[in-house]
Amino acid sequence: MHTTQSTLVASFIKYAFITLTVLLVTSCSSQSDSTSSNKNLHDQFAPESGGTLINAMTGEPSSLISMIAGESASSAITSNLFNSLLKYDKNLEIEGDLVSSWQISPDQKTITFKLKPDLKWADNEPITSADVLFTWQAVTDEKTASPYASDFLLVKNAEIPDPLTFKITYEQPYASALDSWAGLQILPKHRLLGQDLHTTTFSRNPIGSHYYKLDNWTHGAYLKMSRNTLSVLGPAKIDRLVTRIIPDNSAQFLELMADNIDLMGLDPIKYARIIPSRPELQDKLALYKELGNSYTYMGFNLKHPPFDDVRVRKAINYAIDKQEIIDGVYLGLGINIASPYKPGTRWSNPSLTPYPYDPDKARALLKEAGFTDTNGDGILERNGKPFSFEIITNQNKEREKSAVLIQRRLKEVGINVTIRSIEWASFISRFIKTGDFDVVVLGWGLGLDPDQYNIWHSSQQAPGQFNFIGYQNSTVDKLLEQGRLELDPDKRMKIYHEFAQVLLNDSPIVYLSAGYGLTAIHQRVKGIDTPSPPAGVGHNSYDWYIPQPLRRNEMSVN
Amino acid sequence: MNIPLLKKALSNPLALSGFIIIMVVLTLSMLAPFIAPYDPNDINVKAILLEPSPQHWLGTDGLGRDVLSRMLHGGRISLLVGLVAVGISTIIGVLLGSVAGFYRGWTDTFIMRLVDVMLSIPSFFLILAVIAFLTPSITNIMIVIGLTSWMGVARLVRAEFLSIREREFVMASRTLGAKDARLIFTHLLPNSLTPIIVSAILGVAGAVLMESGLSFLGLGVQAPQASWGNILTDGKEYIQFAWWLSLFPGLAILVTVLGYNLLGEGLRDALDPRSNACK
Repeated sequence: MHTTQSTLVASFIKYAFITLTVLLVTSCSSQSDSTSSNKNLHDQFAPESGGTLINAMTGEPSSLISMIAGESASSAITSNLFNSLLKYDKNLEIEGDLVSSWQISPDQKTITFKLKPDLKWADNEPITSADVLFTWQAVTDEKTASPYASDFLLVKNAEIPDPLTFKITYEQPYASALDSWAGLQILPKHRLLGQDLHTTTFSRNPIGSHYYKLDNWTHGAYLKMSRNTLSVLGPAKIDRLVTRIIPDNSAQFLELMADNIDLMGLDPIKYARIIPSRPELQDKLALYKELGNSYTYMGFNLKHPPFDDVRVRKAINYAIDKQEIIDGVYLGLGINIASPYKPGTRWSNPSLTPYPYDPDKARALLKEAGFTDTNGDGILERNGKPFSFEIITNQNKEREKSAVLIQRRLKEVGINVTIRSIEWASFISRFIKTGDFDVVVLGWGLGLDPDQYNIWHSSQQAPGQFNFIGYQNSTVDKLLEQGRLELDPDKRMKIYHEFAQVLLNDSPIVYLSAGYGLTAIHQRVKGIDTPSPPAGVGHNSYDWYIPQPLRRNEMSVN
Repeated sequence: MNIPLLKKALSNPLALSGFIIIMVVLTLSMLAPFIAPYDPNDINVKAILLEPSPQHWLGTDGLGRDVLSRMLHGGRISLLVGLVAVGISTIIGVLLGSVAGFYRGWTDTFIMRLVDVMLSIPSFFLILAVIAFLTPSITNIMIVIGLTSWMGVARLVRAEFLSIREREFVMASRTLGAKDARLIFTHLLPNSLTPIIVSAILGVAGAVLMESGLSFLGLGVQAPQASWGNILTDGKEYIQFAWWLSLFPGLAILVTVLGYNLLGEGLRDALDPRSNACK
């Protein structure tokens, strides 16, 4: 059986991407802590096909070719449209998606994938190994400038001996090889050959192979998908998926209460304060809480002085009270972390402790770095220039509030901070991709594999790539390169523990909180696994169903 | 403006109530640092979204800040923006209006076509577009609102000038050899002052609304500084739950704008001989 991949909502993050907002059903570890107030009776309704599921997102995807988009909004949609060669099952074991089997050579350098026979794209063209080869060529093409390119550039040679076989050879054994192929969505060659992936109309009007196909994308309003009858994994139960673009989280919540959407990611105040205080909402909604593989951070632009000075970065780290942010902004629904891995997993180094809140140490470090308050205005100066910078963030309430708390704490040690909150698309295109910022408050959604080459390796700084803070450390570079080649899990763990330690010591970012993914799903949606398996609540969303009596009037869905 | 006129205006109950509202709002805002029970930016993560209570008369916001204190301080911002923006627009409007009305001819045509062009652009969108290119800040907001709302004043002043410049006392002065500047500043302008004042007072109401709107959209006053508009934005997030965050700043904007409008209308009625004749 190869049909256990979640697709309805962004179920897994196979890859690192920049997260837009509260993550939607994105747990990815073997210790999924999921609670649910689900009082519905599954058995009351037999599974049946049909119906429409409506969800909402705050930001619009920049492209539906996920290898260039690199953001959660895009991945939430494309995970319903495209397959990869491999995927994770509900217990986070790798299994075939487009392939029926794969073989790894004894020297660990060659992998041979066998595609399932008779697979079809949604336009009835056959899926062959030529598509896979094309996709590999696209992701490694310099013109594509994919943030994920480095994973696939390690492939020395790719060949297609026959239409169902795809054979790759690595220069050296690559530890994250299977994981990387589980994250690469295969694109149709016959639609894309000779086109520029950045400008092609395909990115708005894609043809895929997964449970759903895109029918209509009305800019700023919604994306409508319907069941793909040619789906390579067989039919999903729910007929239509509508993803509405509702940039404002409170408007989304109003729509959820008014029964106009079925599912949304919640912020901590809605999860912990508003819904518990309203019995009618508790009856209507099932709540899910999962420790996601994601975290919120404050990142310095290391190319802008004075953030190139490690003492300044450390000082700021000491000056920020992370617990206050977790308590005040996340209402306790967060964890103070010291490494870029999900707490409790093997990759997270248990011997590291977060920077404590210590304003005196911060002041001492700033003084050491040459900052003193010469004119007595309470703001430090160096060479006559006051220490002042701007924090930018996207219009996400938690991040804005975190920034306000940071602003206050930094003021106490003599740093003047202004805050600017910018709409997602222009935030990414105008500030992140161009590197035109001092400090960002942002989040990372991470994959299951510990490899974070894309984010931290010094070679990943081109516009559109993920090392936009400009981090450069030869030790880290070396560790990341080693980690990719190390196949022994224990040795690999040591490498990533050391990596996290160097990172913590360098303080290129301040970890603010590893947050929980909080989700509300309407009780009309049945078939949800409770408690959630390690792969998260959305893992079997293709199997969710909405019983006829509980469906909303279809005429009202538009 | 002379005192009897003010008295006359305030004998109108609506204008009087407007006047009282504005005085109360102004006084409270001026005294904000002394009467606000808390520091408006004092974050207290243990007191998030508390309902109105004896400790926090108007409740607390999403970061545990006292809403009353934030409203009092926010009032200062709103009124400052209102007054400065109107100051700017009035100065520009009066200058261009006087030049157009006094010199007539191509100057007049040019200025009035400029006014037409400016009026043909929806001002809120113009402001949004301009702010998108600048860094949002109080100073920028005041300047931008000022620069985009002078057209009404210019038209008004021009119209006044057109009628006054033909009057006998102006003729007399001109015959005696008075220079243009003297004619404008000692004769024409003082005699068109009342409509300018009325329009300025009404303009403050518009500017307060504009500032609130921009701050509501996140383009106005930036965190952590409070303004009524951005308290409302915070409130919108929890409108079904934390009603106090939406209600009080909303009411403050409503009442203030109402106050300026009542006073402005009342003054106009009192100062306009035609409307007096009707009564």
